[in-house]
Amino acid sequence: MAFTKEVYKEFEDVVGVENICDDPSIMPAYYGTEFAAVILPKDTAEVQALVKLCNKHKVMFRPICTGWSGMFPKGIVLFDLRRMNRIVEINEKNMYAVVEPYVISAELQAELMKRGLNFCIKGAGTNCSAMLRGHGHMDQTTSGDDRNHLAIEWVTPEGEIVRSGSLGSADEWFCGDGPGPSLRAILTSAVPPGVTPGVFTKAAVKLYHWPGPSEFPIVGHSPKYTLGEIPANTMARYYSFPSVDKMWQAELKLGEGEICYELMGFNAAMVSCNITTCNEEEEEVFAKMSKEVQGPGFFVIIAGSSPEDFAYKKHVLEYIVKQNGGKSLKTVENPEVEGILMCQCIRISASIRETFRAGGAFNSIPIMGQRDLTIKWAIGAGKAKEPLIKNGYIVDDGGAFFGWGVEQGHLGKTEIFCKYDPQNAEAKKAVEQWQQEQTRRAFTEKYFASTLGSQEDIGPALSNYHLWWQKLVKTLDPNGVSPEGGALV
Amino acid sequence: MALEQYAGDMGMCCRCSACKFVPMQKVKGSDYSYVCPSIAKYNFHAYSGGGRMNIGTAAVKNGMNYTDRLLDVVYNCQMCGACDVSCKYAMDMEVLEPISEFRMKCNEDGKTNAALDKVIAGLRKTGSMVPAKGKRGAWAAGLGIKDATKEKVDVLFHVGCLTSFDPEMQKLAKATARILEKAGVSFGIAGDAETCCGGRAYQMGYKDDFLAQAKKNMALIKKCGAKTLVTGCADGYQAFKVLYDKYDLKGKLEVLHISEYIDKLIKDGKLKPRKKVNLSVTYHDPCRLGRLGEPWIHWEGTKVPGDRFVFDPPKEYRRGAKGIYEPPRDVIKSIPGVKLTEMTRIKEYAWCCGAGGGVNESNPEFATWTAQKRIDEAVSTGAEAIVTACPWCEKTLNEAIKASGSSLKVYDIVELVEKAI
Repeated sequence: MAFTKEVYKEFEDVVGVENICDDPSIMPAYYGTEFAAVILPKDTAEVQALVKLCNKHKVMFRPICTGWSGMFPKGIVLFDLRRMNRIVEINEKNMYAVVEPYVISAELQAELMKRGLNFCIKGAGTNCSAMLRGHGHMDQTTSGDDRNHLAIEWVTPEGEIVRSGSLGSADEWFCGDGPGPSLRAILTSAVPPGVTPGVFTKAAVKLYHWPGPSEFPIVGHSPKYTLGEIPANTMARYYSFPSVDKMWQAELKLGEGEICYELMGFNAAMVSCNITTCNEEEEEVFAKMSKEVQGPGFFVIIAGSSPEDFAYKKHVLEYIVKQNGGKSLKTVENPEVEGILMCQCIRISASIRETFRAGGAFNSIPIMGQRDLTIKWAIGAGKAKEPLIKNGYIVDDGGAFFGWGVEQGHLGKTEIFCKYDPQNAEAKKAVEQWQQEQTRRAFTEKYFASTLGSQEDIGPALSNYHLWWQKLVKTLDPNGVSPEGGALV
Repeated sequence: MALEQYAGDMGMCCRCSACKFVPMQKVKGSDYSYVCPSIAKYNFHAYSGGGRMNIGTAAVKNGMNYTDRLLDVVYNCQMCGACDVSCKYAMDMEVLEPISEFRMKCNEDGKTNAALDKVIAGLRKTGSMVPAKGKRGAWAAGLGIKDATKEKVDVLFHVGCLTSFDPEMQKLAKATARILEKAGVSFGIAGDAETCCGGRAYQMGYKDDFLAQAKKNMALIKKCGAKTLVTGCADGYQAFKVLYDKYDLKGKLEVLHISEYIDKLIKDGKLKPRKKVNLSVTYHDPCRLGRLGEPWIHWEGTKVPGDRFVFDPPKEYRRGAKGIYEPPRDVIKSIPGVKLTEMTRIKEYAWCCGAGGGVNESNPEFATWTAQKRIDEAVSTGAEAIVTACPWCEKTLNEAIKASGSSLKVYDIVELVEKAI
């Protein structure tokens, strides 16, 4: 569904001839959709002009950054924000950084670490946009989700520029809720459809103290980078526990103790992915590690601001682990493995290994909620993976799930993967069925309402939020040009 | 291998964009975080490694959808392999190989680039990838270098097209000869009988021309009886060492880059850089000496049915780790007075000079743009000079310097060694 020459020219006049393309041969590079055009705006003004044109011609648009998958209606215009890749500001005094959408987390974090700072990198990986909303490995320190979004510059679906929070009144980025307009509920909706329509063109993200090195002392070559030494006052360990309950008790106490820079509920399969350089090696290491662990577990990084601070945190960590029957995994005590994990799990640089390497695809059910409740659900969802493993549909990870406490640990993220070969239609179908069944079970058995569920099903149980959301979207987007999944990427 | 045989690999692309950047742990900030010149310049995802995978997948499924834009994507790639390294940090899949096969398919279908066709016509006529003005061995006149086609030598020095014919680059051949003589090496050249290695033709997608050159070269080497071949050019190194092996043409020939050989000569005590060369330098890893200089791994197998992307027999991937990285650095460090400072993007994730994949010929502006980015990075180290180990890099970097007015100097590693002996 290509543009007419005249309409194409109107879009071209905004971005220049080199930054718009409707050639069908390059469309598959993006997704399996026939886009009307792919357009590369360079700044907010261009985004605004493009959005207004979309309204004028009643053409749908969606922005993307580095990518991953997506669903796109035929004939939609794709805004590839590749050229909007500047770190606008790092404000050390007020602890925020302002970024454009195509700044990846690896870039921002590297700049921050030089300044003794860090931010919440989402579990999806450091290759994703730094302004992506979500949760990550460092949630105990950096919290997660909308906590980290401060002021936002937003081009609405109609092409208005809205500046939220302090940006709306003082032209400063330090706060998302005021003194200007707080639009938190609209700009970071946490229930389906999940994201706000329109385009976020800049966002301020909250910064946190980073007590580690300004740069990790990496040695070796890809794909086996290791640390030349473990940085001072830092330590990484994996602990397994005799039971889920013991693991949860330890996780809670550690959260309350506020001593972990990172507590990530990796299962043994995920540790194996992280520390190995190919699929064959991963299978071997997983088999070995499965025998080494006594039960479920988690991965911890502690980082002290001084030797005394480190000694205190280490002491508390070891005490709590011991109280709950935890056992440190010898494999991770090896400084080479410890270093790999420490670097990867601060820089969040191995998420692709954990998800895509084994089979090429994965489906997951991610949940944010009361951690003990979601763990109980996840045990059942893990059990339900067993027939899929037995049939060879999904990678054998022992039926495991994973997760971590956010802030002090009562609130938490729980997630469960099924990794499979996307070329295997039977496997794909089985995984999708598992995903639907376990999402439904979570709701019907009153564990939580997953964002993967139908709005019509879960909405009535949640104050009919979906009806309100639909009204909001209709008001914001009267021409229906910004379909679901439009703003954050 | 044909494009279809990489369908599984291309289907593994999860569109994560890691191929655009240096490996994530090595990202040191917002400067110099990109590793792929093509996406950095042209921005549309189609110009990235991942974009090329997805287009390849569609081509296998639906056939080739040739348009001018598609050919623009195909030929504006230096085939430098940086995407391949960054992807393979996390994934088990081939990236550069299917990109190369896609280009060869374009060639087979007659969808070539006019500028590259012209270069290949020259190759077919003269055995050179650069205009052959005069005789190939003329640079050696009066130097007393042995003619390996007439007398037995231990080492055959393959000079390469650019070094042989470009008056600006012949200094590298002379420096190499002087170094080998100083070390007492029994070496020779093929002189006018030397012919192109074919490596650059391969990069451009002209597989048959590459194979023809490879066969000619191996016949000549067999006739000479040399057991060791030394190249001064990274393209030549990759061709003889990796590509000839890929097509089972190399036999037992030992292939060394001149930087490796000098390193060996120094470590064996046969060459002693004694003269002080007061210079602060940074080193540029040529793609085809570094990540693409990694030995070929012969493998044939099938995917094991089931959930994982694993093979029988297990497949060992080339991930760029085993290229030639330390020998040139050791040589530089052995020269008294030279201070080496590294750039941000080095070794397996080095930024390309811009000359590869035929871009130097098909889109010189893009080649210079790419080289300029490297010059900027070199200048950021505070070095007075950038040292490389390939005449194509030296040429392209010099062109960028000329265009920008930078005061940075460019040296080939043999020029520095020559100053020190």
